[in-house]
Parts: sequence; structure tokens; C-alpha cells
Amino acid sequence: MPASDEAAARFLLQAQFSASEADIASVRASGCAAWLERQIALPYGTTGWDWLNSQGYGDVSNPANYYDNTYPGDYMAWSQLMTAPDTLRKRLALALSEFFVVSLTGLNSNWRSHAMAHYWDTLVAQAMGNYRGLLEAITLNPAMGYYLSTKGNKKENAAGRQPDENYAREVMQLFSIGLYQLNADGTTTLDGAGQKIPSYSVSDISNLARVFTGYDLDQSQNVDTVIAQTGGGTRTIGNTAFARLPMVLTPSNHSMLAATFLGTTIPASTAGAAALKTALDALFNHANTAPFFCKQMIQRLVTSNPSPAYVARVAAVFVDNGAGVRGDLARVFSAILLDDEARGPAGLTQAEFGKLREPMLRLVQWARTFGVTSSSGGWKIGDLSNAGTQLGQSPLRSPSVFNYFRPGYVPPSTALSTGVVAPEFQLVSESSVGGYLNYMMGVINGGIKRYAGNPGVVVDVVSAAYVGELALATNATALVQRLNLLLCAGQLSSATQTLIVTALNATPLTNSSTSTVKNNRIYAAVLMVMASAEYLIQK
Amino acid sequence: MHLLQPHLHTRRAFLRRSGQLALTGAALPLALNLAAMGEAAAFDATDYKALVCVFLNGGNDYANTVVTYDDPSYNLYNTIRGGGVGQTAGGIALAKSALTATLLNPTGAPLDVLGQTRQYALHPSMSGLAGLFNVGKAAVQLNIGPLVSPTTRLQYNNSNRSLYPLPPQLFSHNDQQSIWQSSSPEGSTVGWGGNLGDLALAGNTNATFTCMSVTGNAVFLSGDTALQYQVSTTGAIKITPATASTVYGSSAVSSTIKNLIQQTGSHKLENEYNKVTQRAMAAEASVTAALALTPPTTVFPTDSLAQQLKMVARLIKGQAVLGAKRQVFMVSISGFDLHDNLIAQQPVLLDRVSAAMTAFYNATVEMGMENKVTAFTASEFGRTLASNGDGSDHGWGGHHLVVGGAVKGQAFYGKPPPVSVGNVKDSSGNYALEDQWHVGQGRLLPSTSVDQYAATLATWFGVTGSELPGILPNLGHFGGAAYPLNLGFML
Repeated sequence: MPASDEAAARFLLQAQFSASEADIASVRASGCAAWLERQIALPYGTTGWDWLNSQGYGDVSNPANYYDNTYPGDYMAWSQLMTAPDTLRKRLALALSEFFVVSLTGLNSNWRSHAMAHYWDTLVAQAMGNYRGLLEAITLNPAMGYYLSTKGNKKENAAGRQPDENYAREVMQLFSIGLYQLNADGTTTLDGAGQKIPSYSVSDISNLARVFTGYDLDQSQNVDTVIAQTGGGTRTIGNTAFARLPMVLTPSNHSMLAATFLGTTIPASTAGAAALKTALDALFNHANTAPFFCKQMIQRLVTSNPSPAYVARVAAVFVDNGAGVRGDLARVFSAILLDDEARGPAGLTQAEFGKLREPMLRLVQWARTFGVTSSSGGWKIGDLSNAGTQLGQSPLRSPSVFNYFRPGYVPPSTALSTGVVAPEFQLVSESSVGGYLNYMMGVINGGIKRYAGNPGVVVDVVSAAYVGELALATNATALVQRLNLLLCAGQLSSATQTLIVTALNATPLTNSSTSTVKNNRIYAAVLMVMASAEYLIQK
Repeated sequence: MHLLQPHLHTRRAFLRRSGQLALTGAALPLALNLAAMGEAAAFDATDYKALVCVFLNGGNDYANTVVTYDDPSYNLYNTIRGGGVGQTAGGIALAKSALTATLLNPTGAPLDVLGQTRQYALHPSMSGLAGLFNVGKAAVQLNIGPLVSPTTRLQYNNSNRSLYPLPPQLFSHNDQQSIWQSSSPEGSTVGWGGNLGDLALAGNTNATFTCMSVTGNAVFLSGDTALQYQVSTTGAIKITPATASTVYGSSAVSSTIKNLIQQTGSHKLENEYNKVTQRAMAAEASVTAALALTPPTTVFPTDSLAQQLKMVARLIKGQAVLGAKRQVFMVSISGFDLHDNLIAQQPVLLDRVSAAMTAFYNATVEMGMENKVTAFTASEFGRTLASNGDGSDHGWGGHHLVVGGAVKGQAFYGKPPPVSVGNVKDSSGNYALEDQWHVGQGRLLPSTSVDQYAATLATWFGVTGSELPGILPNLGHFGGAAYPLNLGFML
């Protein structure tokens, strides 16, 4: 049982996007494990797919040509993160989206926002299911088919055409076993000469690529519409059905050659479905997969540098959830969040424990903590990837299949100990530190505005009411204590709190002060906390 | 000492290991220490020079960039890539007739190992760079890629990696990007561009502006002491909450934020974050002042790469304000990982590369600095010559361009690879000549290493021979006529 409000908030900020007084009380009353079980049992919120349709983005006739655009996908992602009731599930799906990466950026398909939404919905649906099922679902997913070019991948032919190797490489390198042989605790195995041992070869890739041949979009439910285009001419646009159906196999396009990879052989003339099962089973059962996956999930949720023992404990749960089942994600994520390394106090005083909060998570936390609403209901926040003027990151917008940052990223020329990594620092630059502060300064008081038309008219504002904070406006100390608890689980030092309180009190405020003065105090308190390194590094 | 562990050889490496290097990004100590210990610092620069790395993210398809044009070679290319009868387009092959306008006319035609006189054209969308090549301001370096030492195809096939070392994780994007930039796979923290910066620090008034990136974080510009300073395409970002006179009506809040965001304490990650903010705060005014000069009037396209190069041009113009004599810049463009849609998508990207680099060259001419600025392309790998239907897969060697007034242009450097995807061996088990320079599917086996490319650029930059191995630890494995340490493309 968490021994304090701070301990409960610390847990909540690892397990979901924000902490509220009600959440804290709930965790303190039942304990963390029971809270997790309640979250696992929560009904699913609205899917991204249904949300897009409810907002009208499935309308093929709309002259905005939604089928070509990614901004509906951006709006969908922010809406999911900021409003979904099943917060643990969504937090885990977001972590999974940074491992099994598909991105709106570079997704070239009709109805790309719908395709991305279905991919997101797939991660959500499987986030507390089984890794093996998730691996198969993403392999056959149409958005993934576009992103890593499995869609339309054809077998070798006499003219020298070879199977596309993109998915075969990345499913090994990024989605299952990683580049090097690993020990069960996530450390790299070394050979007799002290060198790392590659876990797969060029030949493994070429062979495995044969398994992923013959797949294409399932157009069996397609209905075309001929749309007149602005400026003349017409286009024939299919419907969204393909974006939600697993890719289908055309056997004549599937390679009939034998395939030998990772010590497994698929005999010649094996049918596609059987070959796929064998291949995915091989990846699932590989000794690397548990530590490779689990270590990165710990990095996403708790700390950039877990001890090998922590990784080993979680990986053991992946291998066997206690009932003989391999790949039970609900148990794996519970193990991550309930482990003593995440819950115990030791990390709070270690100089290299924790992780830099991702910029998009800071904004989602702001939104949920302060009860934001979207004036239009459309959550028209958009792509915030610009580092100089926005967050430098946006959900489902990784710049490539390698995610926004590498799990092993080491920032240059630091005082960090040898071997310490800081993945999220790959987003930190002289531009991004300023971009974040400038962006939040405008958002905290003015909300996030979407303009349309020329001249621009505001069509949506995502803004906060700060009700709980305004109730404490006259007491700067209490206000800062509240923000300290809710935003960073009490991790601001008393020196920092004093600095902030002193700055707030420099402007006198009483019950009869104007609402402008009171609001300004809240805005200033929130900005000062969210600018502090003690907030930015989540411990 | 393992060949694949660079940076273990020189005195700088010793310093790095023993943690004696200044880690704050401050100027001077390294060069002075080295001089005091008897290692000559490289620079006694009185003039200005800049290197600009243009990184093509994703692995650029070399075969459709520097396109083989002489009939025998083109016909092989056309067949392999699924082209049409009569030298027409098809599959992922470009039509020969489309290449005439961007045909390269070198002062001497290159000869390949088969004795074939080779001709090349740039991709049809690269008219700007083709024009610069043909007036001597751009050169093509053929078949370059990471190598630990000269390697043959048989040695590549031989599994004895102690005897025949290879760069680790060939064909993996992130590792090859890191190896191109730093001779080490992913996780590396020091790149050769940064090492050039280390040597240049002593001559620059303000160390901060030695290595400047207008793209994201990359190891290329990180040195032992020199740190990458990142600037956006609109300049240095001024942190309003820390510099405005009031924030939400309060001057106390503004000054408190200015204090808070630069504090250090006991938590190392917190400190490292705030150190970046300290640098941003300290440097912004200087960068803004440098950018306040009237920008070059040369028109740059609006895409990201062109805007990045425009910012580099403005920074170069302002180098007197920044107090810099030697600078290394990095810009990048993404999207080259064309496993599919190669024919549809590569032209857009190469058009941007050509137009941006041409505009950049013209801007340096406008500033009278074309002989002082050299831009060069790089990419984590080339791709297969073979097709997967509508794209190509990860490869190794590729062709690259070097552009500037100091370039000995209108020429090809390196060895033109034969056009083949075969695996033909003779009776003694040696590969046929046409199959010696790829490792299957037409993935080029580099005949020139990135180290040699970097050494040539570094030498022009002012690095002496004795300093080169510290920057390029595998350089000592090269040399001689086949793998010259200076490729000769700089005047």
C-alpha cells in the first residue's frame, strides 16, 4: 500500500497520464495491485476509428479530402490520450506505439488517418492481451503493410526480383529479438573475445523475407466512389474498409522456396499461413524477446536505466506469467509497475534514476490534471512536432520506424556514468528546450487554439479551468504543494518550492483580487513547476 | 586492441578514457593540453573554412542517383531493374532518354575494372548539381562506404571476422548512420565532425559555434570537447518566459524562471537537461546578432533541407560576428528508405537535394566565400541494384557528391563499379571481375572507405597527417594507390 499521497501519485504518474486527488485516494485505499486490476477490467473507451467517423472524417465527399490527410489522425490521437477513461490501457498502448512503430508521418495510403486509427486501436485492444497475438495483428495490419512495405510484397521471380526485406529486418531488429544476443537480464551476451554476438544475419533476413510475400490489402468490402476534384477531373476513392481488415494472402504471390532463419526451417511449398505461424512463433519464443521487449517497456514507464535484476524479474513474467503462459502483457506491465525498483524509495535519491518526461506526455498530463475541454469537441491540436515552436514530438508521429529516440541513446559530453543511457534526451536541443517553454507559456493561459480560414477564425480551443487550483489562489504555499503533488509526486525540493512561492507572493493577492490576478497566479505556478528540471525528470 | 573499437589509439583517446577532458563544452583546454604534451595542434588558421554535411536519411538508392549511362552498362542496369525494351523505363529503371539533360561531362572519363569507359548522368531531377559538376564546382565520389580495412568479396564471405573485420551491423539504418558519422555503431557519442571541431576550438573566439546543426541530434557533430549547437531554421530560439520583462504580469516570475531553468543540483539527468538550457540562453543573443546581418539574396526553395541550408548560409555570413574561423555544419533530409515507390518518391527527394545544394553554392558565391565552404553528401548506405518489384533494399556502398569552389570538380573519384547482381565464380573459386564489387543483389562492396572521404575533407579543413588517425581510427588500414588517404577531390 502506498504509504503517502506522494507515493500514490508517483505510481499513478508511471501507470497513466496524470494523478488526481480521487485517483490518489483510490490507490491509497486499495493498494496499487488492486488499482491495476480495476484498470485492466475497465471497458474500452471509444475507439479511434469510431471517433474519426463520429467527427465526420469518414465522409468521402467532403471537399477537404479527408482520405489524403493526416490531421484527423493527429486530432484522434490527442483526443484518445486526453479523454479516454481507460487510462492505464491507453498509457500502455502509447508505450507499445514506441516499440511497434507506425507513424502518420510517411504513411502514404488513402484514408491514412483511419489506417493509423485502426493501428492504434489494435495496440489498445492487445495492450493487456498477449504479445504473440499482438505480433500477428501488427504483421497483418494494413497501416503496417504500407509503413514497412509488406503490402504488395511479391515472391522472387526469374527476372531477378527479390522479396522486399523491409519488414523481415525490422520485425527482428525492432519488434522482437533486437540486434544482439541478450542474457535474460537484458545485458548483452559477449563471446570469448568480449564482443557482442549478432542475433541475426543478412541470410536470416533474406530468408525470413520470403514468409512475408504475397500479402496485400483486403479489398473484398470495398466500394468505390467517384469524386469530382476541385479544379476539375475526378478521382476514384475506395472506402475505409481495407484499413480495418488484416491483409490477405494471394498464394500465387507467396514464395514457395524453403526458408531457413534463426535455426528454424520452413520447408519448400509451405502454405503462407503455416509459414507465418512458424515464423512468428520463432520470434515469439526466441530467448531474446522477453528481455528485449521488457527492458524497453521499463524504460518507457519507469526509468531509463533499470538494473539487470529488474529486467530479469519482468522478463521472467513474460516467459511465464505464473500459470504457464508466455507473453501475458497484463502480467508483464503489472510486474513493471509493482516492482520494488519502481515503487521503493531508493530511486528517489539515486542521481541517475528516472527518465526525462516525453514532451507529448507533459502536455497530456497538463490536459488531464487541469480538466481541459475542447470547445468544439474536435480536439484540434494537430501535429506538434516542431521543436523550435512546439513540443518537438507528437503522438503517433515518430520520424521513422526507429521511434523518436533510441533505447540506447547516450547524450554527448555529459557527466553521466559510463553505460548510463537517456533515450528521451535525443529530443533535447538548444531549440527544443526553448520551444517547449515558449509553447507551454502560451498554452497554460491561452489554451491550444485551432484557426481556420483566411483571415483566421478560432474553430477550437483546448483550455483548462484550473478549478482546484483557483480554490487555493490566496495561499501560494498550498497551491504549490498541490501542483508539486499532482504534477510530480512531491519531487520538487523545498528550495524549488520556496523559489516558486516567493515569486508568486511578489504579486499581492487576496480574495477580492480580480480574476485576472488570480488566474495569473495559477498560470505562473503551473509554468514554473513545469519548467523545473525536478518536474521534467520523472523519478 | 580490437580493430572494431575505435578511439583507443591516440593521446586524445587516452584522455577520453581517463576522464580528463573538460566536459562543459568550453573552449581551449584540449588543444592546449595536446600542445603541451607534444602533440601538435592542427590549426594555425588565419582564414575561414567550413564543412557542411548533407545527410540523406534512409539509405539513398545510388543506382538511380548517379545513373550509369554508357550503353553496355546502361543496358545491364535496365535489364536488372526491370526496364523496358529499347532503353525505356520500367520496373525501377529510368529511361536512358530521360538522362541526357543531366549527363555528366568529366574532364577524364573513368575506366572500370572490366576496361569499360564509363559514363554517368545524375537523376533527371538533379539539373542544378549536374550543372555545377559540368563547370567544375562539384565532384562525384564513386562507391564509398564504411570499411574497417580494404575488403574483397571473398573476404566478406569468410566468417573469420578477426582476420577480415567488417563494420558491425551492416545494413542496419541506425548503426550505419552512426558508423558513417563516428566509425562506431549506435551508442557512439563522438563523431568525426565533432573531432574536427575539437581541433578548431582554439582558433574560434566562441567554442559554442564551432559545430552547428540545423537538423536534430546526431553524433556527427559531437566532439570530445566541442558540442553540437543546434539552431532552428528560423534561428536561435529565445526563451520568452526567461527573458521577457514580465510573465503573466510578473517580473518576479520571469526572473525566477530564468533562475530555475539553469539550476544544477544532485540529480545528473536534471543537470544535463539544464546544461542544454544554459547553453541555449548563453548563445542565443550571439546567434541572433549574427543572423541580423542582411541575409544572402539568393532564393532558396521552401522545403526543410533548403531552409536548413539557408540558415547555414546565414550563419556562415555571420561567422565574423560568431568569431569562428573553422566551422562544421550538419543538415539532413529524410525519406530515402525506398523499399517501395522508388520511382514515384525518389525524384522529389533528389530534386530537393539538388535545388537546395545549388542554391547554397550560389549563396556562397554571392558572399564571396565559395572557395571556403565545401558541402558533401552522406547516407547510411546505398541500396541493392536488384529490385523487389517497386523498390530496392538496404545496401552498402553508394555514390556521393562534393560541392564547392575548392572542389576539383568535373571529375569522378574512386572506382566505377561493374553493373551486376551475379555470383559467378571461376574454377579456382574467385569471383568473376564483374561480381567482385558487390556482395549479392548488387549491394556495392565499397572500393573507397568513409575514412578516406573524411580524411580528404579533413585535410582541406586544415588537419595535419599526424592528427588524422585520432579522428579516423581505421585510417591506418588504408593507403597506397588503391585506397589513397587523400582522394584528391579538393584543390
